[in-house]
Amino acid sequence: MDHFARLGLPAALDLDAVALDRAYFALQRQWHPDRFVSRPPDERARASAEAASLNEAYRTLKDPLSRAFYLAGMAGVNLPGDGKTIDDPDLLMEAMEAREALHDAGSLEAIDKLAADARQDIQKALAGLSSLFLANDRTAIRKALLRLRYLDKFAEEARARRMNIDRSNA
Amino acid sequence: MAYSEKLIDHYENPRNIGSFDKTAEDVGTGLVGAPACGDVMKLQIKVGADGLIEDAKFKTFGCGSAIASSSLVTEWVKGKTIDEAETIKNTDIARHLALPPVKIHCSVLAEDAIKAAIADYRAKVTRKAE
Repeated sequence: MDHFARLGLPAALDLDAVALDRAYFALQRQWHPDRFVSRPPDERARASAEAASLNEAYRTLKDPLSRAFYLAGMAGVNLPGDGKTIDDPDLLMEAMEAREALHDAGSLEAIDKLAADARQDIQKALAGLSSLFLANDRTAIRKALLRLRYLDKFAEEARARRMNIDRSNA
Repeated sequence: MAYSEKLIDHYENPRNIGSFDKTAEDVGTGLVGAPACGDVMKLQIKVGADGLIEDAKFKTFGCGSAIASSSLVTEWVKGKTIDEAETIKNTDIARHLALPPVKIHCSVLAEDAIKAAIADYRAKVTRKAE
């Protein structure tokens, strides 16, 4: 069963966050180990397996980016895994220039500005992804997801850089 | 995880950080990335009139193993012909730096980067000859 089906939700990038939470908490109650303490071992084992799968489904679908990657896997989009390299010059040039700008940013304000820009780019890219999924355009989905990986990494690096500066100012 | 002395040395004192003008005729540029970890690596070679790589530079945004791998490759290729430089294997890099298994992909990135830089240089030479 895929994660969407497990939660009884349509397999789409645009997901109602409230509906997701509601479905998750209802099922979580249903399979909670406490309700199976006095049940036979096979039922207890089943409940604990269901609860674990449910948690994984929720974790995967809650975050839009991880939801997008999961949905891409379902759609048969071929993404480079660990140890695989790419040489898309436009994407890599963008990533390289962004990281250089972050490296050169000397103030908290400058870093926050770059991080805000990256967050905006992530939102825009995610918004554009919905229609690509509807059209099942695998090539474009792949391209957009690779860019999202780099934008997400950039946002993470910006947070780390910010913490370092904060610490050295303290 | 224990890292080798050579790895730590290249990470703490990276050789040949920087850039050449990528439009220069004697410069080959390789730009590669590993999207799974968000690494990006630029490796450049400058080829002399005698066909030997006279200088190399790199810029890498990634983990310590990726930085050390690219630093090592820039050292190795200097003084080599591009044909010789092309034979550098990721396994040589991984062995020299004693990369832990989970970091082998960083050496793959460095091998791909030098290959891409050589391909870029060759394409320039071919264009010039035409």
